[in-house]
Amino acid sequence: MDARYIEQLVREVIKQMSNVAGEENTPAASACAQVGKAECDLQPGKDYPLAEKRPELIRTATGKKLEELTIENVLNGRITPQDVRITPDALLMQARIAEACGRKQLAQNFRRAAELTRVPDERILEIYNALRPYRSTRAELLAIADELEQKYGARINAAFVREAADVYERRGRLRTA
Amino acid sequence: MAKRSKRFEVLAKRPVNQDGFVAEWPEVGLIAMNSPFDPKPSLKIENGRVVEMDGKRREDFDMIEQFIADYFIDVSVAPEVMTMDSAQIARMIVDINVPRTEIARLAQGMTPAKVVEVLGHMNIVEIMMGMMKMRARKTPANQCHVTNLRDNPVQIAADAAEAALRGFAEQETTVGVVRYAPFNALSLLVGSQTGRGGVLTQCALEEATELQLGMRGLTSYAETISVYGTEQVFVDGDDTPWSKAFLASAYASRGLKMRFTSGTGSEVQMGYAEGKSMLYLEARCVMLTKGAGVQGLQNGSISCIGVPGAVPTGIRAVAAENLITMMLDLEVASGNDQTFSHSDIRRTARLLPQFAAGTDFIFSGYSAVPNYDNMFAGSNFDIEDMDDYLILQRDLMVDGGVRPVSEEEVVAVRNRAARALQAVFKELGLPEITDEEVEAATYAHGSEDMPPRKVAEDLKAAQDMIARGVTGLDVVKALAKHGFEDIAQNILNMLKQRVSGDYLHTSAILDQHFHVISAVNDLNDYRGPGTGYRLSKERWEEIKNIVQALRPEDMEI
Amino acid sequence: MVDSALIEKIVEQVIQEMSRLQSSGYAGNVDRTSAAPAIAQGQGLVLAEKGEARPGSDRSEVVIGLAPAFGDKFTRTIVGLPHADVLREIMAGIEEEGCRARVIRVGKTSDVAFIAHEAAKLSGSGIGIGIQSRGTTVIHQKDLPPLSNLELFPQSPLLDLETYRAIGRNAARYARGENPDPVPVRNDQMARPKYQARAAVMHIKETQFVVPGASSTELEPRFH
Repeated sequence: MDARYIEQLVREVIKQMSNVAGEENTPAASACAQVGKAECDLQPGKDYPLAEKRPELIRTATGKKLEELTIENVLNGRITPQDVRITPDALLMQARIAEACGRKQLAQNFRRAAELTRVPDERILEIYNALRPYRSTRAELLAIADELEQKYGARINAAFVREAADVYERRGRLRTA
Repeated sequence: MAKRSKRFEVLAKRPVNQDGFVAEWPEVGLIAMNSPFDPKPSLKIENGRVVEMDGKRREDFDMIEQFIADYFIDVSVAPEVMTMDSAQIARMIVDINVPRTEIARLAQGMTPAKVVEVLGHMNIVEIMMGMMKMRARKTPANQCHVTNLRDNPVQIAADAAEAALRGFAEQETTVGVVRYAPFNALSLLVGSQTGRGGVLTQCALEEATELQLGMRGLTSYAETISVYGTEQVFVDGDDTPWSKAFLASAYASRGLKMRFTSGTGSEVQMGYAEGKSMLYLEARCVMLTKGAGVQGLQNGSISCIGVPGAVPTGIRAVAAENLITMMLDLEVASGNDQTFSHSDIRRTARLLPQFAAGTDFIFSGYSAVPNYDNMFAGSNFDIEDMDDYLILQRDLMVDGGVRPVSEEEVVAVRNRAARALQAVFKELGLPEITDEEVEAATYAHGSEDMPPRKVAEDLKAAQDMIARGVTGLDVVKALAKHGFEDIAQNILNMLKQRVSGDYLHTSAILDQHFHVISAVNDLNDYRGPGTGYRLSKERWEEIKNIVQALRPEDMEI
Repeated sequence: MVDSALIEKIVEQVIQEMSRLQSSGYAGNVDRTSAAPAIAQGQGLVLAEKGEARPGSDRSEVVIGLAPAFGDKFTRTIVGLPHADVLREIMAGIEEEGCRARVIRVGKTSDVAFIAHEAAKLSGSGIGIGIQSRGTTVIHQKDLPPLSNLELFPQSPLLDLETYRAIGRNAARYARGENPDPVPVRNDQMARPKYQARAAVMHIKETQFVVPGASSTELEPRFH
């Protein structure tokens, strides 16, 4: 675990804490505060695709720049699978682009996704399976919501899972006992 | 009948009479569109919340209705559009003076019954005009299937390379034997990036497994995330709108493009259509997809095409479901991907609406292999129809998303893909790909031309590959080490896409320079003749120049 | 096992089938003929109800779960095979491998996976077979999830009597704890355009006989 990775982790935790403390619908705003003012004004025509027009805004999940993703660095082991993962910031920037295109549900999906970048692969698959019909009791779904909120700062997703628990209960799609 | 008419005997033998046809039965939903039992459009909003939709009170909503009411319906637009005359909206769709953005705005406030009522006023040509204007990406494209009966990895790589060279923007594979999946995904990735950098690839599997392969960097998008129009069928499919929407976010969280899949006929096929028309139930699927925040949808009946195909106006309904998807500003991969008819006339006619109007992906699976190797149970067009298809492009001056290629370049690219995969297998310690197999794949038409592999060994190694955690980066390394730097670079470029997320947007594809073309920077701006997508001079030259054409200047005099 | 009466019957049916196909090329006509009640009368299958189906304890039994309309409201599969012959072949296959066949009617669902799973749960061996009127068949095991299976035969138009017998044999082999090679099935991509809509109609009709929550019924099949 190198210093850069630790730094990244710390940043993540701080950001989560500030998210939890913040308003319901401000994850995009918090990202702006995080990376600077520029993203708040992202415009589809001027800034998209970000990788071409605003490469300076894009980092890998370990904080590297796109230009560092070279064959040479793959061969010498400097690039690991963690480096080819999207960051919450990139997703929040794409959410702003989607919104500017009038695609508010797509933007909201990117915001939920930004929260889920912090959830490990295995756990994501487990939560998906738990959301399938007759898989979980109400209490189990609520526990997942709490976990998403407290462990990963995933507030939108937590609310979404709580809503699912209500709907499943009303429609008889929970696991009984 | 004792004595038969010779004419009727001839007609009886025509291929079209091998197809199955049935009369409408609206009470159970065996009707394409505009069933007398479809709900009438209605919407009531209280305190910014939908409390009644299509004649049903909120407390009686099933899961799908609640999801549509809360995540799809734009309550700021709905009061306006729900009071508009449906025939008037239909006319606006074909009116070149009403821009796409205006229709897309209005569509966000419609209920399922409303949009179906609007489409009910449109004939097939008007629906095609609507598609031309409403599809999200300006430039049309095409997707293909690359599979084979024996899941032979070398053949997949060679066929994928050829398909990429032929111009397909997306490639989809699936498996005969599930445990082969990691090899199929890997072979498709290597082959596609040999043929043309920037082709998107997917491996259709059970939902959770498909996501896992994506996470490993062996695929770059997903499509087989099925949704249905009645709650009973949705639950029988082992999902809910909430589980599917969560899955959508899970994909985006790994920087992976994805779309949902649905289609007319699936509910009635499973016996629970609740007495609603196929198009009404499909409208619910499209709205649910939009509400989930997914960028696009594969529809056009898909695997149930035999059902709408058997009832009156079924193929018009299939085009209508594509149009609803476009009106909701979603990417559409528009079907044409399953065996549809014994009749060549009929299967070409079924293609025409999407082909002539242009869609994001005209086929959501043109079989790039002979249909006997197609593990999606065959496509409407396969590789043996390719010259016909190329000539249709040329006849009608239409961009069908493919281009003529020479035998020499196909042979060369198939060989290179097979050799590249051979190197990757060697480097990753997978069962050997012999020179004999490379040679066979280079010249093969289908799996009958391939030597058999040791399946048990392959399957063991494929599982081991997943257990060892092999990722796309390992493939990059293997290729670079064995002198395939350009293919390695292409695969690395594919992996880089998931860092920036530009290709997560609506209707995104990549050109050979890995430049993203989507409904953000290539938004359809059709406003009548002379606007929207037009063939460039270069593209028209490419389409025109088929080798079969006699060149007068080549004659003796 | 194969008596002369049966052979006679099969020959008779094959001839009927062939003459029908010759006399009409129209697929629609085939349907009309095959649904004719006169033939249905001559099917030679009586399914006597024997009360609620109970879990079995015989470890050598395989339970066959019939969909709501099988052998009753419907008497033939989608390609016109008499249900009597289909059931007899499956049972013969099971018995050929030294196991015992028990037949139940599953009334609460028309989904073949759930029918087969219900049969498996009531089976002393834990192995069950589910079959729909159109002919779609599944071999199931009680500990698998309902939508999973041991073997699935989804393309009902391609199943012939020989295949049904092999399905019975394989189910019995699973019951004996063996791991047999799956029954080979034909693949015909043109079955979709030809039969998909008809399959949907048969399934809808069968689904109309579903009684939600009904318990399964023990049946005693009699062939004549």
